[in-house]
Amino acid sequence: MSATHSTAPRSSKPLLRVEGVSVRFGGLVALDDVSFDVHEGDMLGLIGPNGAGKTTMMRSIIGVVQPTSGTVLLDGESLNGMPIHKRVQRGLSLSQQLVKPLRGISIADNVAMAAASAKTGSPLSALLNVSDTKELEAAKAELTRVGIAAVSSQSPGIQPLGVLKRLELARALALKPRLLLLDEPLAGLNTQEARSLASTIAEINQQGLTVVLIEHNLGEVMRVCRRLVVLDNGKKIGDGEPQAVMRDQVVRAAYLGSGVSGQDDCNNQQRETQHA
Amino acid sequence: MNYEISLLTTMAIAVMFALSLNLITGFCGQISLGHAAFQGVGAYTAAMLGHAGWSFLATLPIAMLFAGALGVIVGLASLRVRADFLAITTMGVGFLFVGIVRQQEFFGGELGLSSMPDHGFGRFGFMLLALFMCVLTAALSIYIKRSWMGRVFNGIAEDEDTMRVLGIDVPRYKLAAFAIGTALAGLSGSFYAYHINFIGPDSFGFVESITVLSMVVFGGIGSVPGVIIAAALLAVLPAWFQVIGDYKLLVYGGLLFLMMRFSPGGMAGLAKRFIKPEAVAKKEQA
Amino acid sequence: MLFIELIAQGLIQGSIYALVALGLTLVYGLLRILHVAHAGLFTLGGYIGVLVCNASGSLALGFLCAALVSGFGGVMMFRLAYQPLLTQPPYVALIASIGLFIASEEAFRIIFGAQGMSFLDPPLQQQIVMGAGLQFKLAELLVMLSTSVIIGVLAWLQSRTRVGIACQATVSDPQMAESFGISLRKVRDINFFVGSALAGFAGVWVALLNNLVEPTMGSVTSYKALAIIVLGGLGSVPGTLAAALLLGVIESFGTIYLGDILDRNAIAFAFLIAVLMVRPQGLFAKS
Repeated sequence: MSATHSTAPRSSKPLLRVEGVSVRFGGLVALDDVSFDVHEGDMLGLIGPNGAGKTTMMRSIIGVVQPTSGTVLLDGESLNGMPIHKRVQRGLSLSQQLVKPLRGISIADNVAMAAASAKTGSPLSALLNVSDTKELEAAKAELTRVGIAAVSSQSPGIQPLGVLKRLELARALALKPRLLLLDEPLAGLNTQEARSLASTIAEINQQGLTVVLIEHNLGEVMRVCRRLVVLDNGKKIGDGEPQAVMRDQVVRAAYLGSGVSGQDDCNNQQRETQHA
Repeated sequence: MNYEISLLTTMAIAVMFALSLNLITGFCGQISLGHAAFQGVGAYTAAMLGHAGWSFLATLPIAMLFAGALGVIVGLASLRVRADFLAITTMGVGFLFVGIVRQQEFFGGELGLSSMPDHGFGRFGFMLLALFMCVLTAALSIYIKRSWMGRVFNGIAEDEDTMRVLGIDVPRYKLAAFAIGTALAGLSGSFYAYHINFIGPDSFGFVESITVLSMVVFGGIGSVPGVIIAAALLAVLPAWFQVIGDYKLLVYGGLLFLMMRFSPGGMAGLAKRFIKPEAVAKKEQA
Repeated sequence: MLFIELIAQGLIQGSIYALVALGLTLVYGLLRILHVAHAGLFTLGGYIGVLVCNASGSLALGFLCAALVSGFGGVMMFRLAYQPLLTQPPYVALIASIGLFIASEEAFRIIFGAQGMSFLDPPLQQQIVMGAGLQFKLAELLVMLSTSVIIGVLAWLQSRTRVGIACQATVSDPQMAESFGISLRKVRDINFFVGSALAGFAGVWVALLNNLVEPTMGSVTSYKALAIIVLGGLGSVPGTLAAALLLGVIESFGTIYLGDILDRNAIAFAFLIAVLMVRPQGLFAKS
């Protein structure tokens, strides 16, 4: 495991606080009284067997899902009831598991749309602004950062999964967030691609961006994350430093019980279902 | 000369009307099956103000204001319902408008309003004014398309959930589309009232809403030049082919169906196929 | 007194709406397409029913032919118009459907004339006295009866037979259904056939009630049927039935009490809009 230490000062107040969040869909309990903190500069891995509620947790933070009870607080401010775009304006950014780029426009334009948040804040300001030079420059910077600047003028429709995942990351970064949420950014990538992208994400975190990421690829998670939160069946069963968490009996039981060791199967299956 | 002047005026009004719907449905992807109601609001406003002594030009901003205000209300309603329900809700708005206007003597009831006061421009002058407004509408459409508003609209039309995650206040943009589009429809309505010199509850019904939608669809949803051409053609189709007059609706219906079935991108889509076939093929592979 | 009569009138009209709306809701539940052209099949059924009855003297034969022709017409519409458009954005199918509908209305006008057609010897017109001063035409009673029977049978078929269950599964999750070996094509054909046959059937009833079929008789019913399936909630058969009957009754009372302000259609849509504002997912949808 690489010895990465964040250079950002650790403030006492958490950047993100999840407080007693429960989510119920009809009769199903997706999340059950989950609480954890994310501090500025953290690189936090949200892991757990399939169906543990990880994606639901992400969606509750970004606002696609409303918690049945409990609160999510960003910088001390409650996000309950706040629409998604306001949360994004406050500094959250989500890179989704199922990448859905805008197909009618180029990769660069896709990222530029995210970079244009200053101009697109209100319809009036959007109406008064035509030029996209600045945004395209910012887009290029992000695309270079994630390593796909070469295809920036191409259409997303013809790209392989590895490129799309990086596009999604570039889009999320172009929003200049304070907290980056990544839902399975490595899914469907081969070992080499996954390692490369994970390193990129670690670099981005070292540059000061707080990251929370969901991943099944435990190898990479152990390598880059400095903290883990483990979910199982909607409940939190582990929280702390990666090695310690993985040694915990309850966590091991949860993973061994659901037979998640087949990482390659997991990746291959996801690669098949996710198409451009 | 009079006949040609009248024809051109009709075309200008139809193009204005179609471009206004193109903003809502074409740019922003919100299906409206009741757009004629907004033209109707503009028409009735202009007619009634005109009868009350206002000059034609003075009625224009008020007509746009009322139509736009109603558009915002409908827009707010549209925010609550999902896309396929939106189509039916807007259809309902259309019927509501006709139903209200038909029953109220205040709006002329079943017989409608006629004998507009003289607008003072003369036939030729009125046509020029209509053409001028039409050109302004087209220019505005093109400007919007090039601006960030147009880019955002495009994104919303394609995938509004992703746009939200990108930080866009989607509801506000939809409202903006409705407000601008319906105000422009109101503008076309004022001209309509004075041009045809008669408006009644059946002037702005479901068939009219479908007709204007077919112009947009035919031209190619979102394409400004396509919609202009399609609207101009379809508006005067019955006049050019006298025999078509009776079969006008059959032709509309048939064209709509055939176009959607074989070229959903409208005429603009067809044009793209001829001009840049490789680019289109590549996109279709995706 | 008036109250009961209004309710009865509302239920009669509601039954017609239900028969038409059922076909629409079956299609919507399956394909998420607003099948506006459905109304054309309704009108077609009316014409066929009158023609066959006039030619053969048998109303039953008229009903049968109307249902069959409309049913097959519906399947053809699916195969020719909708199936190729499944991969396009939803508005494409909607507009194609509208085009088809307008063209069909005009076709009826051109072929059969604008004045419409009537029964040579209208059957089922006898008045039945129900006591308490109420009386109905036999046709009116029978339409309510037949609607209840049909809906009952359909509901039973949906939950008890393999075909019915297959249909339900396809509505909730087409991919899963397919993996179970259910033929999507067959399910869709069946749904279109049944729904369209019902519309044709309803068309004959309307012909009986008014003793008239005319080219535009489908329009208003179809718009309202669309409103009904929205009210009734996503592809729900019981929801559609309830919404249809409710709308019929609301219209019945509305025209009496609000007739000065709104015409009949406006009342229906005002009701729809009001409901959607309060409950955007429809009256009877599961939240």
